[in-house]
Amino acid sequence: MKRRIAYIAGALLLLAFAGFSLTSFQTALTPYVSYPEAREQARTVQVAGGLARDSSSYDAESSSLLFTLVDPATQQTLRVRYHGVKPANFEDAISIVAIGSYDRSRDEFAAGKLLVKCPSKYQGAEVKTYS
Amino acid sequence: MSYLSSLYLPGAVALWCALGFSLAALWGYARALGGDGTALLFGRRAYRFFALAVTLASAVLLVCLYLRDYRIEYVYQYSGNDLATHFQLAAFWAGQKGSFLVWLFWGALLGLPLVRASGRDEAPVMGTYLLTQLGLLLILVRENPFVMLAQTPADGVGLNPLLQDNWMVIHPPIMFIGYAAAAVPFSFAMAALWRRDYGNWATRAFPWALFGFLVLGTAILMGGYWAYKTLGWGGYWGWDPVENASLIPWIFGTVLIHGLYLERTKGRFRRLNVVLATLVFLSVLYGTFLTRSGVLADFSVHSFVDLGISGWLVALMLFFFLGSAYLMATRLREIPSAPSEDPLLSRGTFVVLGTIALLASAIVVTLGTSAPLLTRFMENPGQVGPEFYNRVNMPIALLVAFLLSLVPLLSWRETAGWGQLLRKARWTLAAGLAGAAVAVPLGVRDPFHLLLVLLAVAALAANLAAAAGLVRRGGLRTAGGYVTHVGVGVILLGFLASSAYDESAKVTLERGRPAQVGDLTLTFHRFVPRTAAAKERMEVEVVRADGRRYLAYPKLFVNDRSQQLMANPHIRSFPLLDLYISPLEYDPGEPGGRVILTRDQVAERGGVAVRFLGFDLDTGAHGAMPAASGPPTAMTVGAVLEITRAGRSERVTPLFRFSPDGRTEFPPVEIPGGGSVALSGIDAESGAVELLLAGLPELPGTPARLSLDVTRKPLIQLVWGGLYLIFLGGTLAGIHRFRQALRHDEVQAAAGG
Repeated sequence: MKRRIAYIAGALLLLAFAGFSLTSFQTALTPYVSYPEAREQARTVQVAGGLARDSSSYDAESSSLLFTLVDPATQQTLRVRYHGVKPANFEDAISIVAIGSYDRSRDEFAAGKLLVKCPSKYQGAEVKTYS
Repeated sequence: MSYLSSLYLPGAVALWCALGFSLAALWGYARALGGDGTALLFGRRAYRFFALAVTLASAVLLVCLYLRDYRIEYVYQYSGNDLATHFQLAAFWAGQKGSFLVWLFWGALLGLPLVRASGRDEAPVMGTYLLTQLGLLLILVRENPFVMLAQTPADGVGLNPLLQDNWMVIHPPIMFIGYAAAAVPFSFAMAALWRRDYGNWATRAFPWALFGFLVLGTAILMGGYWAYKTLGWGGYWGWDPVENASLIPWIFGTVLIHGLYLERTKGRFRRLNVVLATLVFLSVLYGTFLTRSGVLADFSVHSFVDLGISGWLVALMLFFFLGSAYLMATRLREIPSAPSEDPLLSRGTFVVLGTIALLASAIVVTLGTSAPLLTRFMENPGQVGPEFYNRVNMPIALLVAFLLSLVPLLSWRETAGWGQLLRKARWTLAAGLAGAAVAVPLGVRDPFHLLLVLLAVAALAANLAAAAGLVRRGGLRTAGGYVTHVGVGVILLGFLASSAYDESAKVTLERGRPAQVGDLTLTFHRFVPRTAAAKERMEVEVVRADGRRYLAYPKLFVNDRSQQLMANPHIRSFPLLDLYISPLEYDPGEPGGRVILTRDQVAERGGVAVRFLGFDLDTGAHGAMPAASGPPTAMTVGAVLEITRAGRSERVTPLFRFSPDGRTEFPPVEIPGGGSVALSGIDAESGAVELLLAGLPELPGTPARLSLDVTRKPLIQLVWGGLYLIFLGGTLAGIHRFRQALRHDEVQAAAGG
């Protein structure tokens, strides 16, 4: 009897942990979305694209970086603001992944993290993460 | 024949020979399985030739790298003339092809002692093991590292500057020893199923499982230490897919070790251990697939491109998955399982619970790492960040620490009850409470964190007492488990302190002006130019709250070849914390004394009038720059200036030197009466010169600025210290289990003979 109770308790605990893991997984999942989708959602998402030429400006006082992403497939654009130190060689980026959420009040994408791919002679490309 | 002529034959032939010998060995072992006794000898001999051929192929690549033979594409792609010898050799594992070759090399070497260690099961063990080797070999024959270029370049592309670090020289090869070792317990398990002999494999596989655990763990430690010391983002673990790809087999390996322990001591887990040994090996293949196939290209900092081997890796995984699944499905039920079940409040139950907890951790980490793959077919693929891993592993860490603090007090037989257990655990509990009481004034308020401190300190204390007790009774050789678990308690404290309680601040320092960061005062003194021995560095003076000071030298430099901006942090370790100073950005400022003059133009700055009279190309006559400071082919140009101060005129000639390697230097020249001037640039078309004036009063301009990330990492030494204890305990256990396996073979030989 005692043993059966222990087994049931163990199974319940495992179930609880599985549920906890799955909900954490769903909350933590940041999906890749298109720019129009990013504008509609409040949750954390990631967007990718190229850097629009001459679109980036950096304000050292507030340490905020403002730039425009261009979707190479659709030519849609998205204005992105990132708070933090400007990534090295940022102007040379061939592709940028921005992780964050859309800020409706300022009408721009507020990125908390950037993945910047720079052209490199080494295998693939050099990617650096900034957060 | 063009395929043949595009290969460097000494290496390619060695690989083909390896393929031939491995097939021959496989044939021999297969015949031996069918009962042909002489074929066993043939298989064994062919295996040794296979190992020799793989060694030769590796030696050829190493020699080609050493000789900088750029005919070979791989040598060209990953090395260069400017590399020091040890980095040149490290280029061996800088690319994917070389990595697979290192993996195969270690695998072939590990197989040599395995021939002996597999004893009576040599044929099925070596047969399975050869199949794992053959998988790697086929990838290498297809993605041949000995492909040659049509023309021979004069210099290679060079090694990724991030990898030019001593830790990176040894981290990957050690990692691949661990990967290679993962195939050994798997081979033992498959052989046991094949032979329907389930009583021996656990004893034989145990030391190998411990060996793999130790080696892979050491490699993970080195990778973490490299990330902490070199990359400058302030951490040692980022839950990146590539890191996880090595962590997942390590956790499965840890579970396997506990399973084998239970099987050896209590005869439990006999079926599960076969599954676990398979999982360790399959997780190595799966991790390789995730990181080498390009499926994670948009999600990982280590962006490996698709080499076109994803199909091979998938086929390899499917082959071993289906093969082992078939054997397990048909034969697992035959394995007799222990009839006696553990009493509830006993050591057995607690070890089982801990094993399940670790298994759960391995599964959720696999789930998280696979997120891009799992969501690939949904509308929007996505990934999970570090928060996910930290969150789901927290309850596991709590449970593991709880179990570890009680396990040493439990016996295999039923313990009388919770009351008695609590009485036995009173000192453990007191230690944990004391730990939590110390943590509160240090700023730990979160109830879960306090609970973790309590349980981790309790686990540390209980296992330390148990280890000390054993050692006092002369049982050092069996104290491995306790020592490892002391390490687990220590490392949990280190993880918590260094990740949840680090304090970080970004600060921009103006040159010469002290700034307050927390209780530190930082002053950026100067930019230290590159010397032969060291890269460009920043000199920052740090004054701590107690008035003690030191100079920090974080590095910030542009790699000559790739033009990448590289940042290396400066780390100062104190007994209770690390001060981690990482450079973010350097702005040299606008030197106010910069003027551009054409011939006969005059500029006035800081009370001095400068007139540019003309170029002086006959600079050999000047003593201003010693001729020895550059090779004779360097070109030197001087600008003849007339400098007028307070009515008195003087002539000075600052020089500008181009080196053939593209570097320029322009040493400042003293101006009589104070200050200096340097010729910082020449525009040949307009005949203009750029001059830098310094040391004069009231020059306009902006000062140099340095942006830093200053982080306090409390108790990070506990992370490294805990890992050392885990490895020490693992080594003790490894020696113990190795001896047991040897004795087991002797007993068997005596019984059989």
